[in-house]
Amino acid sequence: MNLHSAATAEPTTIRGGVHNTLAHDSAAKHATGAAIYVDDIPEPAGTLHAAPGLSARARARIKNIDLSNVRAAPGVVLVLTAADIPGTNDVSPIGAGDDPLFATEEVEFHGQVLFAVIAESHEAARRATRLAKIEYEELPALLTVDDALRTQSFVLPEHVMKRGDPVSAITHAPHRMKGQFRLGGQEHFYLEGQASLAVPMEDGDVLVHCSTQHPSEVQHNVAHVLGRPNNAVTVECRRMGGGFGGKETQGSQWAAIAALAAVKLKRPVKCRLDRDDDMIATGKRHDFRIDYEVGYDDQGRILGISFDHAARCGYSADLSGAIADRAMFHADNGYFFEAVQIRSRRCKTNTVSNTAFRGFGGPQGMLGIEEVMDAIARERGLDPLDVRRINLYGDAPRNVTPYHMQVEDNILPELITQIEESSAYRRRRQEITQWNRQNAYLKKGIALTPVKFGISFTTTHLNQAGALVHVYTDGSVHLNHGGTEMGQGLFIKVAQVVAEEFQIDLDQVKITPTNTGKVPNTSATAASSGSDMNGMAAQAAARKIKQRLTEFAAEKYKVTAEDIAFLPNRVRIGNQEVPFRDLVKQAYMGRVSLSATGYYRTPKIHYDRETASGRPFLYFAYGAAVSEVMIDTLTGEHTLLRVDILHDAGKSLNPAIDLGQVEGGFIQGMGWLTSEELWFDEQGRLRTHAPSTYKIPTCSDRPADFRMQLLENNPNREETIHRSKAVGEPPLMLAISAFRAISDAIASIANYRILPRLDAPATPERVLFAIEELQARMEAAE
Amino acid sequence: MKRPPTSQPTTSSGATAREDGVFNRRHFLVGTATSAVLPLSFGTTGVREAVTDAALPTQVPSSSVALLVNGRTHRLILDNRTTLLDALREHLALTGTKKGCDHGQCGACTVHLDGEPILSCLTLVASVEGRAVTTIEGLAQADGALHPVQQAFIDHDAFQCGYCTPGQIMSAVACVEGDRAGSDAEIREYMSGNLCRCAAYPNIVAAIRAAKTEVRS
Amino acid sequence: MLGSRTPSGPEILPPRYARPRLLDEALALRHGGAQIIAGGTDFYPARVGRPLYDRDVPCVLDLTALAELRGIQDEAGCHRIGALTSWTEIAEAPLPAQFYCLQAVAREVGGRQIQNRGTIGGNLCNASPAADGVPALLALGAEIELLSRAGKRVLPLSEFIRGPRQIALRADEIASAVVIPKPKGAAHSSFVKLGARKYLVISIVMAAGYLDVVGSRIAEARIAVGACSPVAQRLPALEAALKGEVAISSLSRLVKPEHLAPLKPIDDVRASAEYREEAALTVVRRLLEELSA
Repeated sequence: MNLHSAATAEPTTIRGGVHNTLAHDSAAKHATGAAIYVDDIPEPAGTLHAAPGLSARARARIKNIDLSNVRAAPGVVLVLTAADIPGTNDVSPIGAGDDPLFATEEVEFHGQVLFAVIAESHEAARRATRLAKIEYEELPALLTVDDALRTQSFVLPEHVMKRGDPVSAITHAPHRMKGQFRLGGQEHFYLEGQASLAVPMEDGDVLVHCSTQHPSEVQHNVAHVLGRPNNAVTVECRRMGGGFGGKETQGSQWAAIAALAAVKLKRPVKCRLDRDDDMIATGKRHDFRIDYEVGYDDQGRILGISFDHAARCGYSADLSGAIADRAMFHADNGYFFEAVQIRSRRCKTNTVSNTAFRGFGGPQGMLGIEEVMDAIARERGLDPLDVRRINLYGDAPRNVTPYHMQVEDNILPELITQIEESSAYRRRRQEITQWNRQNAYLKKGIALTPVKFGISFTTTHLNQAGALVHVYTDGSVHLNHGGTEMGQGLFIKVAQVVAEEFQIDLDQVKITPTNTGKVPNTSATAASSGSDMNGMAAQAAARKIKQRLTEFAAEKYKVTAEDIAFLPNRVRIGNQEVPFRDLVKQAYMGRVSLSATGYYRTPKIHYDRETASGRPFLYFAYGAAVSEVMIDTLTGEHTLLRVDILHDAGKSLNPAIDLGQVEGGFIQGMGWLTSEELWFDEQGRLRTHAPSTYKIPTCSDRPADFRMQLLENNPNREETIHRSKAVGEPPLMLAISAFRAISDAIASIANYRILPRLDAPATPERVLFAIEELQARMEAAE
Repeated sequence: MKRPPTSQPTTSSGATAREDGVFNRRHFLVGTATSAVLPLSFGTTGVREAVTDAALPTQVPSSSVALLVNGRTHRLILDNRTTLLDALREHLALTGTKKGCDHGQCGACTVHLDGEPILSCLTLVASVEGRAVTTIEGLAQADGALHPVQQAFIDHDAFQCGYCTPGQIMSAVACVEGDRAGSDAEIREYMSGNLCRCAAYPNIVAAIRAAKTEVRS
Repeated sequence: MLGSRTPSGPEILPPRYARPRLLDEALALRHGGAQIIAGGTDFYPARVGRPLYDRDVPCVLDLTALAELRGIQDEAGCHRIGALTSWTEIAEAPLPAQFYCLQAVAREVGGRQIQNRGTIGGNLCNASPAADGVPALLALGAEIELLSRAGKRVLPLSEFIRGPRQIALRADEIASAVVIPKPKGAAHSSFVKLGARKYLVISIVMAAGYLDVVGSRIAEARIAVGACSPVAQRLPALEAALKGEVAISSLSRLVKPEHLAPLKPIDDVRASAEYREEAALTVVRRLLEELSA
């Protein structure tokens, strides 16, 4: 116990508090190969392996299914079909009953799971699946959004948001136009595929190690399939090798197969998907067709606008309702519409059921309005940046969204000014226009696009989180919460929050795997909400313990609570300083509970879906990017020459982690919009189901000149965890600037007066054909 | 498995079992009817056969392979089909080398063969007999001191989810040690066989640049 | 040698695996019907989701220990590249300007790990329509040397590759070397590839060209285009047009759309036929620009 006067030698700050630039908590483990993913867990003796048997038709009635050869194959222990399910044959995340674990009478997409083989080895299981004899009676399959619209095939009813009278506003506007834009889907391509290891426990219970963003949902779905209460199933996840939304709902099926087999056989069963199966049988980002009609004035200010979104949802609902909703919530991006209608249709097709993917519909909605911005600029002969600027949200009454929420924290005008200057947008625009006049075949393009992304689950009840904190008698801390780690750095951020709260060094805080037995009823780690919600919940738990320690110390040392302060690794009590661990030991001896749960529910939010109005978001995260590209007009190839980014992470909890998210999000978005193309053939088979044909960015595809910055001196106006902002998804949409820059380069051919017809992704082929189509229109006009 | 490293013959990872009594999957508890009260006893009690003898080949062509990994020789009896990746992960419990695509297209399974980076998922274990294999677990020195490239990856946050990291580091070590890190462009070309879906590429390049200086000095 | 097969079971037994060090031993195994594997970079991916070996293969013959099939020899009248020479070895060998196109290919075949293992012989025997090595070797006028216990055969590459995944390799033969004739004058070559990203690309269109210049004029030209027909094709009409031209002139002006008649592009996951057709013309023009520089 030190006297206060002797404390001058004590450290003034802890190691690893909030707002510090710190390496990922698993950094050393990643660099040495010691980090354990599901497939790396030492297999309990006797572990079996599962492989799914997939449908070979996009839509068909199953006339007969003969699995006798599968059962007889070497190494096969068990073949599971729907008949083996004691509970419910459904793994829908919303309980819709349309996501069977095993299809029965009818298959609805090429790749749908019909049965599963459990065998002594992964190879034996996989090989046996090929021996099934399935007789199909083929039925007409709907593969595209257009097929579905034509036949009125939907997974969920349409939804409309409306404010004002857009029909009248458009009709009476000085200028009007209509257009259509299509954008493609995206495969997650997490490097670690879907994986679950189910270990049978006593009483027919099961423990599932699962690579999932949503352990609670996997738990509930496994319990439903087993016909057992939720408390019979425990799901644990230490980390994922990437998620990106692809493990928000898509883990349940494989976990349920492994668990069902494990419980039946009383042996551990692992289900790790092969890459092809993973790409064929799990959902992707929704592709959209967006039709728009807009009325605007001479300066390009939008007076009325109407969007018609059509999302390809695939064969089942999954999260398509919320995803299509979020696309609607972002159809405005950062722009004010005086009168607006957004209609959204959720198309049912005979393709894999599309699912969450970083941005969750937001990027699709934003792409639509950014296309409109360019369309107006071309028609008016204005710089697209000026059209964007004039339409930005501003002061009342120009601060109301299409869903009647007031934008209170808008920083886009200042943020855009800052990046416009730092990137020398205006000067470069001039230089590029000049350069394009002098170069016949190579053309450059530039675009500045903003991002305004709503933070909170739009399904309001999901905005809750829990945490569990123990302090052991040696002063070390055990931290658990409902969030999952997929590389985004959530665990280190929440640990920083707890270290900060207790004022102990970060290495005193043990990060532990997410486990439904520790923190129950959690929401998915999704919607960029991980740090916001779990950070708050962990802080609340730590504060409870701190409060108890304070009360204990006040009583023991006969001081008031105000005389107690938590200093780095020690506590000042009156005029004494006590090491944290000593106070903890004393509190234990004094019979004080050193364990607490913490809980957080996001304040202020509410939303009435019936009237499509409310405040679905606590706040918005903002950013802007300037991309410069060069295209080869003879081949359509393009190169990203320079990218400037200014992104708003509030008062960042960990700038290193956040910059990684910004950089990675941009490149992933760039891949989606420029090179990643999902190609289904006429039979509805996904033909780009391997990395050789589905092209995600490589080390060489990053922009040659990449300048990133987090917006400084910019605390969140809302009371979020240490005034930080969510950063997982928003940066992905910064890549829209790259797409618009390609369009800008093409538009240079027509002296920037015609909008190229360029759909996403802007593959060389699409770019070349957009150029030719543009040239044909110019010739026709002459 | 990661079953522990062993110099004993073990079974293949294939669909077969050996009868030599060293390790026999058929001894595992597999029945449902008689074992309801015997949870958590996998592999201890022979109750029922799950696999009929008719389906089991009596002799499995396999090779005895002396595998030199991270300076240690392991003698394994393996099914001829076994890839180096599976041998490392399933038989030597070296799970640092990751299975990303199993198609030779992502780079997550990169190891060194006689100092050169190769893809262990495309390499049959029988073909590397007598050659030196180095995995991510074999980079650090015996006292635990990290290779400069490993340290540089930590210092530059050159990963997010970490799944591609061991493969990235194995390529990066070869890049630096083979003097192929002359410029960022050269680094990017050399590293183009290693995909990172989190797109930590800028930091990966920065880490390699820094490690190059470290290795030279 | 081979484990007894259960008559009723569908299991395909893993066959014997052999990695001989002596060519004679390899030829004997091949004579016995062994299936060949070299670097394995195409062998295994082609079998993902399928049994690793074909049913009736008694033995897998790994050629990688045959040192005499590896390396590049400068011989009278030709260069001889052992079939097992890796792409890395080709890329890093000190070769004359004639080989520029092949070295450019070598640096772009897959990632570094593939370049270390993939072999030139394997690339040719795999005969993928998009195999990177084929257009370059057609442009170099390569011949392939085939060995069996019966002796040696030499075939022009265009006769060896008969179609996609179809080669004129007899069941008892091993491809042992690629033989490239030396030019009469000063030769140089070039390679242009189009893809959706920079590396790890299986090409949408690629073209290789070779010019043998005697004095200031082109004595011989060979131009080949890959990924635009079932098998990479040379463009004889264009080659004829180039012959006798002054080598440093702007050669791309000579390229006419009808020169590309031998190409028959198809739609696939990577690009449409229409796009390939257009892009091929640009790629060939660009190739000629590079060759005239």
